[in-house]
Amino acid sequence: MPTISIFKDDFEFLLAGTRNTTRTVSIEQVEEWLMLVKGELKGHNPDTGELRIELQDSNRPDLWCCEGIARQIRIKQQGKMAQYPFLTGKTKPKAKIMVKPGIEQVRPYVAACAARGYQVTSQGLAQLIQTQEKLAEIFGHKRKTVSIGIYQLSKITFPVTYELVQPGEARFTPLGMETVMTLSEMLMVHPKGLEYGGILAGASHVPILRDAADKPLSFPPIINSREVGEVQVGDDQLFVEVTGTDLPMVVLTLNIFAANLADRGATIEPILVEYATRTSLGKRVTTPQDLRKNKTISIHTIEQALGQQLGLKVVKQALEVYGYEVAVRKGSVRVKLPPYRQDLMHTMDVVEDVAMSRGYADFTPVMPAQFTVGGLSRIEHVSDRARELMVGLGFQEIISNILGSPEQYSGQMRIDDTEWGQMVKVDNVMTLNFSCLRQWMLPSLLRIEAASSRAFYPHRLFEAGDVAIPDGTHELGSRTETVLGAVIAHATAHFSEIHSCLDTLFYHLGREYRLEPVPHPSFLEGRAGRILIEGKPIGIIGEVHPEVLERWQITMPVVAFDLNLSQLINQG
Amino acid sequence: MDITNIIDSLHPLEIKVLMSLGTRPPGTALEREQLAEAAELEPSQLSMAIEWLLAKTLITVHKETVTPIVSLTKTGEEYFQAAAPIERVLALARDATSTGKRLTIPDLQSQGGLDPSDVSKAVGRLKKEGVLLIIQGGCIETTGRPSSTADTLRALLGQLHESPKELNGFTETDRQVVEDYAVKRGNAKEPFRVDERVTRSFVLSPSGTRAVEQLMTQGSVEEVSQLSPELLKDGSWRQKRFRKYTISLRAPRVGTGKKHPYREFLDTVKAKLVSMGFLEMRGALVETEFWNMDALFMPQFHPARDIHDVYFVKHPTHASMADESILSKVGQVHENGGKTGSSGWGYAFDLQRAKRLVLRSQGTAVSARTLAASPNIPGKYFSIARCFRYDQVDATHATDFFQVEGIVLGEDINFRTLLGLLNLFAHEVAQAKEVKFLPAYFPFTEPSVELHVRHPRLGWMELGGAGLFRPEVTMPLGVTVPVIAWGLGLDRMAMVALGIHDIRELFTDNLELIRTTRGLF
Repeated sequence: MPTISIFKDDFEFLLAGTRNTTRTVSIEQVEEWLMLVKGELKGHNPDTGELRIELQDSNRPDLWCCEGIARQIRIKQQGKMAQYPFLTGKTKPKAKIMVKPGIEQVRPYVAACAARGYQVTSQGLAQLIQTQEKLAEIFGHKRKTVSIGIYQLSKITFPVTYELVQPGEARFTPLGMETVMTLSEMLMVHPKGLEYGGILAGASHVPILRDAADKPLSFPPIINSREVGEVQVGDDQLFVEVTGTDLPMVVLTLNIFAANLADRGATIEPILVEYATRTSLGKRVTTPQDLRKNKTISIHTIEQALGQQLGLKVVKQALEVYGYEVAVRKGSVRVKLPPYRQDLMHTMDVVEDVAMSRGYADFTPVMPAQFTVGGLSRIEHVSDRARELMVGLGFQEIISNILGSPEQYSGQMRIDDTEWGQMVKVDNVMTLNFSCLRQWMLPSLLRIEAASSRAFYPHRLFEAGDVAIPDGTHELGSRTETVLGAVIAHATAHFSEIHSCLDTLFYHLGREYRLEPVPHPSFLEGRAGRILIEGKPIGIIGEVHPEVLERWQITMPVVAFDLNLSQLINQG
Repeated sequence: MDITNIIDSLHPLEIKVLMSLGTRPPGTALEREQLAEAAELEPSQLSMAIEWLLAKTLITVHKETVTPIVSLTKTGEEYFQAAAPIERVLALARDATSTGKRLTIPDLQSQGGLDPSDVSKAVGRLKKEGVLLIIQGGCIETTGRPSSTADTLRALLGQLHESPKELNGFTETDRQVVEDYAVKRGNAKEPFRVDERVTRSFVLSPSGTRAVEQLMTQGSVEEVSQLSPELLKDGSWRQKRFRKYTISLRAPRVGTGKKHPYREFLDTVKAKLVSMGFLEMRGALVETEFWNMDALFMPQFHPARDIHDVYFVKHPTHASMADESILSKVGQVHENGGKTGSSGWGYAFDLQRAKRLVLRSQGTAVSARTLAASPNIPGKYFSIARCFRYDQVDATHATDFFQVEGIVLGEDINFRTLLGLLNLFAHEVAQAKEVKFLPAYFPFTEPSVELHVRHPRLGWMELGGAGLFRPEVTMPLGVTVPVIAWGLGLDRMAMVALGIHDIRELFTDNLELIRTTRGLF
């Protein structure tokens, strides 16, 4: 979900399109229009005219730029499609990229075009760079699937070659550096090499783009040549290339750049890419290329999904002003996405575009009429009963994080390397404080006790909530169960006090239980008991061991119980 | 103040003092000692009662007499035990005279161990009385006459050693000696001290008299402070009066049993959802990537699936799923759409990846499992699920949080009933009358909606997100009717209701805060 920065006057210029009448629009108007592109205005600087916009749709990379947003709105305003003649296949490519064998092992695909006649403005350049970054980063999975280079066309002699090279052999001055370096040096030294070098990890040979004069253009997906690949304000002849591992995504990315530059007034010249082996689009692929397919959808499907009778005419009109090509058939529409989109997977995608084009406000809400009976799960019901009883027994309820540290859940409880100290641990630890799931409730309550020595005594605390108990026999390697924990802390806290509470709880839950002495390192020896229901252990009760209290830096006696409510309802 | 109110507020000590005065002839004034005797009170109790009664003007001071009282000082006690300087001087002089020794003033000082000032005072006094003579050479001789000062002093020391006495009870001569030998400013080393004792006598004021009359008519009703089982058992409470309390005092603190304010908030949401016909679903904290993401048609290359967004489980790393059929079904939909009419994502689905264990990152995982477990049709479900995100913890991001989510299945489910349901949530959960529906994006729904409401206190806010589950989600799980997926973002509402500004405070360890936070729901 990218957030991009655009400039209001640039936006207004693009909104006018071929009409040369730029109109000033209000911020309120911009905000309303942004609904068409699932955009949200995050900020506005009235002095510079900068607008910060968050785009939600991760399947619509064409909208992650000023040109794309303006285009979607312009079509709706002007009621007609943008025309991109370079996609008709009628323009014969004048230049060529030769793809050499072997590259398919590393980064197989390339697409490119030339753009003439648009003199790059500073805002236009900022957009070009931003689009390049956002598409490569988010749509292109941090350049792994797609990366983009933009160059000064006049410095390139065609045909360009896309091939593998030994990283120690090729050299050029990369962007951001002063001196000539080999590709291996770039991987080791250049910031982009360090950031993206992982994509090429393990490859003995790496990709390079070179022109007919053997001049390096770029080391994809790492860095461009400073000499050829540094576009500046005022340039009016550009070369755009996209490389990557997914051909439709590579072509789509180029289509988006071509459409963006065309919207700014450039004439796009397609380029022929000649592969050594056949691709899904053939051996000779002209780019940009229209990859769209027709999809026929029955009007009934659309109307049923939207819950509203619209009619073919309305649907056709709604889709056309959203950029689709639409042909009406008997009872259905045959639709085709615009060439800068590739996100049509299912009929429902078209249904949403109809709704967005009409505006959600156009649909009157209707209550779902079918009757259903509500209710709680059995465990929630029991947990709620237990919570009510604990409140009645004078306990304050607590809520804690479930994600915590092994130190708290086991170390400070003196149960490291015991059956009680097993936990579900996180593999990709960010901080030790959040690195495992609690397996019982007592540490969550001691956390409060340790922090609250100055709060009015006595302390009677409880929490009912989920824990994760490792279990090798379970499909998920652990069981999630609901546990009730309670503690009492004050100067004369005594086993019998917490025992009375447990006893009352069981009485009102209508269950018979028994206590059986158990040596448990968290409790004083001879003052801890396993709670048994029908012979099965479902919890523990006792006086917390002074060493545990010391480790928590608690200076008040604590008595506690920890009762597994899921086991309670499972036993009979 | 009304006399009845005054009487009701009287302490038992006060009543005793009042009655002591009231049972004597009108106008009788009694002093402290007399009152103490009559009311049978300790001096400290009497003092309190007198102070209170004076403040209430039920008694007044009748007469105030000032009596000088003589007592021995520490020096006086020493003189009594041993001898006063004048006696020592006299004894030494008599001894010298009878033995014919020479005795000078410095001799008196060294032999008597006396201060020069004491010696000169004693010698001066004895000389004036004609008891001593200073002869030539500064020698001292006695005349043989007795010293009335020394005798009087000895007698006074003896009497005052027994107890302090009133100065006026002594003879003129005695009083003169007392005055000469009393502690004065600049001369602290004297045997006597004269203090003024103030003696007051008290009489009933007119309102005191009325109060006594009232007390008399009430008869001998005994006042008690506490009702007791004994008083109830034998009915004797009828003969008792219960002292009234000062009820405007601050109450002492009491420990309470109470739900956690945030849980209380979630409980109200839970109750609302049940009242709207939703059944509760439960799920596991540890989930497979399959249920957490794959089943929700999030492609395995989706950016929200990498190690910077989800917590992966260390051991075991993968689930032991015996039945892979549902995995392959979903996998096929990812690859080419399967039988759903979708083109799919067009990549090679990794079955092993699907079994990777993660900490549940979204409540929708619970919904996905419900879809696969033959849900009711029509059916409504919800869950309040704890979820985990790989986020840096700060005031607005928690790594461990609740998500309120659910699904609605039915033949009549479509975009408009989706909006209708959201309307209902807006009214029921946020008490909002105005709503806005904005287009939104979720990987698993199409169309997708964001629900914005005008909250009575918060103004416009995002309340939730929802949409129709993509057929790519529902069909491989065996559901053929349309399904609404919805989620409510309630943390902001909860935080405002609880008056907190930092999301971490929802799970605070500050007991005082938890005990005192009022939930305003």
